[in-house]
Amino acid sequence: MNGVSLVDFITSQRWYGSKTRAVSEASVVDRATLRDNLELELVEVVFDTGTHETYQLLTDDGGYDALADEEQARELLRLIRAGEALPAQDGQVQFAPVAGRAGAGDPRTARLIESEQSNTSVVFDDELILKVFRRLEAGINPELELLRFLTEAGFENIAQLAGWYAYVGLQMEATLGIAQHYIAGAEDGWERALDAIVARDDSFVETLRRLGGVTGQMHTVLGSNTADPNFCPEQTSAESLGLLTATVDEEIEAVFASLPEDVPELDPIRGRGEEVRERLRLLTNLGGAGRVIRHHGDFHLGQTLWDGKDWVLLDFEGEPARSLPERRRKRSPLRDVAGMLRSFAYAASAATALRGVSPGGWEERARQLFLEGYRETIDHNLVPSGAAMDKLLSVFELEKAVYELRYELNNRPDWVGIPVAGIARMLDEEVPV
Amino acid sequence: MTETGSWFERDPLWFKTAVFYEVHLRAFFDGNDDGSGDFRGINEKLDYLQWLGVDCVWLLPYYPSPLRDGGYDIADFYGINPDYGTVDDFRHFVDQAHQRGIRVIADLVMNHTSSDHPWFQASRTEPAGPYGDFYVWGDDDTRWGEARIIFIDTEPSNWTWDPVRGQYYWHRFFSHQPDLNYDNPEVQRHMLDVLRFWLDLGLDGFRLDAVPYLYERDGTNGENLPETHEFLRRVRAEVDANYADRVLLAEANQWPADVVEYFGDGDECHMAFHFPVMPRMFMAMRREDALPMVEILEQTPEIPDGAQWGLFLRNHDELTLEMVTDEERDYMYAEYAKDPRMKLNLGIRRRLAPLLDNGRDEIQLMHAILFSLPGSPVLYYGDEIGMGDNIFLGDRDGVRTPMQWTGDRNGGFSRADFQQLYLPPLMDPVYGFQAVNVEAQLRQPNSLLRWLHRLIALRKGHPVFGLGTYEALRPENPRIFAHVRTYQDDIVLCVHNVARSAQAVELDLSRWEGLIPEEMFGRTRFPRIGELPYLLTLAPRGFFWFQLRKEDGA
Repeated sequence: MNGVSLVDFITSQRWYGSKTRAVSEASVVDRATLRDNLELELVEVVFDTGTHETYQLLTDDGGYDALADEEQARELLRLIRAGEALPAQDGQVQFAPVAGRAGAGDPRTARLIESEQSNTSVVFDDELILKVFRRLEAGINPELELLRFLTEAGFENIAQLAGWYAYVGLQMEATLGIAQHYIAGAEDGWERALDAIVARDDSFVETLRRLGGVTGQMHTVLGSNTADPNFCPEQTSAESLGLLTATVDEEIEAVFASLPEDVPELDPIRGRGEEVRERLRLLTNLGGAGRVIRHHGDFHLGQTLWDGKDWVLLDFEGEPARSLPERRRKRSPLRDVAGMLRSFAYAASAATALRGVSPGGWEERARQLFLEGYRETIDHNLVPSGAAMDKLLSVFELEKAVYELRYELNNRPDWVGIPVAGIARMLDEEVPV
Repeated sequence: MTETGSWFERDPLWFKTAVFYEVHLRAFFDGNDDGSGDFRGINEKLDYLQWLGVDCVWLLPYYPSPLRDGGYDIADFYGINPDYGTVDDFRHFVDQAHQRGIRVIADLVMNHTSSDHPWFQASRTEPAGPYGDFYVWGDDDTRWGEARIIFIDTEPSNWTWDPVRGQYYWHRFFSHQPDLNYDNPEVQRHMLDVLRFWLDLGLDGFRLDAVPYLYERDGTNGENLPETHEFLRRVRAEVDANYADRVLLAEANQWPADVVEYFGDGDECHMAFHFPVMPRMFMAMRREDALPMVEILEQTPEIPDGAQWGLFLRNHDELTLEMVTDEERDYMYAEYAKDPRMKLNLGIRRRLAPLLDNGRDEIQLMHAILFSLPGSPVLYYGDEIGMGDNIFLGDRDGVRTPMQWTGDRNGGFSRADFQQLYLPPLMDPVYGFQAVNVEAQLRQPNSLLRWLHRLIALRKGHPVFGLGTYEALRPENPRIFAHVRTYQDDIVLCVHNVARSAQAVELDLSRWEGLIPEEMFGRTRFPRIGELPYLLTLAPRGFFWFQLRKEDGA
């Protein structure tokens, strides 16, 4: 089509994830006709090393990118609303509406969102947003799985699920796309935090108590179903705390063994590697690691929206770099909490770096309010009690900060001060007792 | 639908740089609280195995079996022993392991079955039936008298009388393990079906148990016969044709010159265990003399490019002394089996840590030597934390006690009642689970477990250990075992002191003049190599591994 080969088309797309790898071939492994002149194709990209990735394409006689055509994009929503099941060569493409939420009739407008990295999203009538997954992995996508679960459980602080479509066939079973309620005019938590710090607007930080409460509620709901094996909270194994300790300890050791000499931002923690390891040992002295549950998996301010009245939590896909089975694995909910707390640290520093405003005490206030809200709503059976929770949370924060330190040293030396401050703060704090 | 197979980069030689970990399922972790380890149990421990860094788990036999030989007496090649779970549990485990980048191979006994196997029952009751010729029957129990008896402690003969059929049947191992008759093409066909069945379920290969004994021929000792190699070539061709990146690992407890035959011309097994090197490592430690190791490596022939040795310190069997001289065996017994209960057949039934008197330096040195040699190391479950043994348990059960996960009840191995456990966990003050367990060692930065974890990571970071050439240095000081491994630009110098005292050694490194030895654990740079002999001093039972680097750090 148009003289561009399939390989060249896919490998030049923004959503193509493996740009550095040598591709040996790309081929269509299954296809379904969605209507006249609209095909859904599963394309397998094979690498020289023998592994492969599978991508979703929507094609028409205009080329490989039918979604760019408003009318073709509208067809996908029509099919979801109609709950169609269309045959593919070796399987089926199934479209499913959520009763009462999918809307009806023909959408009037369809607007492609340009900014996305790994997926393609289309907004219909400013009411629904359809996220089309490009890289497909076998198994249910955690975003669909979690949204469905949270919606059924009546958890309201999400963009409600309106429908989805999926491929079921010989090649794999995979989620192809998800339609959700579109929240028009909302602002994401990261931008709001920066604006509020700059404007010295205290009303924003007060809403973080609510964000903590919503987060605790989300975890409580996610850990509430003991009948569904995919969601049932599990006890951690006896040695899991030991594994966590060993993993973080070795990370600390490795990072501190190779700190560059010529970065003055490192001074607050330079030569203090053993102190950090000692702190880790004190923190991991706790009875148990609580329970593991399904959780958000990539939780930070950028994944939240303020709709004017309340918080909405977004993007349940998990960390994109991890494999799908790994993203679906149960882990401690406190990892989400640690992610958000670290995100506060980044917001405070970004306000200084990007907007020249010193936030003076904002991060501490944000932490305090968020955690207060979280403690009020979290099911206490899911987390260790009392000081043990504080300790475990600190371990996860330390793990994240050490990871950030390594990442920033390698990629963004100007930002090194953020994890450094986080680690230094933990060293200066009292160990919770 | 199984996703198995899509988790790995294609790499037909993956096993050459892999670290293997041998697991006795029954002993690893009890997932259903019945006192016996199982697939559900090991599934729960994949986080641990992934952290440890092992590339491939080797499972001891998990097939239905009367368990008179630890499961090596297979009663059904297509099933799972109910104690361990179901075929679905197996498939789930393999899938979960693959998702974490861990491959799985399993023991398969091709030489014989359990006498409970339906083939044998049919063979003895219906000599003219379809299975009548599946085993090796004879009227003369003196035939093939040249074939040695392997289990000399229990078996008076390789023939046993079967009153049902009124004939003798041939067995190289226990009398309840009749040998299959590979002269029967039907037997060959059936065994190939068995291989395909498990490979189709996602298994990454087999450890082929007792592989030298498949055929019997007059006037021979019945080991390593040409017909056996012929059949292995058939197996390999089948695997190569239909299954990518699988491995066949031969258990042939033979001299190196005979074992290399099992690689064929790269058309039989991918791997074979190097049996004779192991007792000589123990010997070298006692004698404080590197010579036994140097000699056996000198006598080890070249192997084909795509082949690899499997190396180990200990495994689920006795420390076998078949591949040493009588004199050496006496020495080993005198030094390592002071209590007669420690002996079994031609070997010593003890674990690594007790063999080395629980000496931390000795345990580390032995691992360092193992990891530095050309071959892929195979660890035995529990040795990574320095577990002990119980010589008062029968046969080889003493080295097959429950894995010690925590200091809690049953060592964290099982939530069942103590009386229900398949074997009691170790509870003595030195090696018992309260003193030696995974949980505690994970938390201690200086534990054996954490050290071994680092050693594994280091080895995996340097393909030279799996792929490189081996060149012995022969320093004048006989207590120093030193060699150089080279792969492309990666040059690694390994120097080990097997003595109980500190030693100095002068090494002739003139060929690498100008290079800078960088110690591999701490990344410390040592003085540049010059024209003169390179002087090193080593702590008692100490070792150094150096990467020889160019001045600019390349």
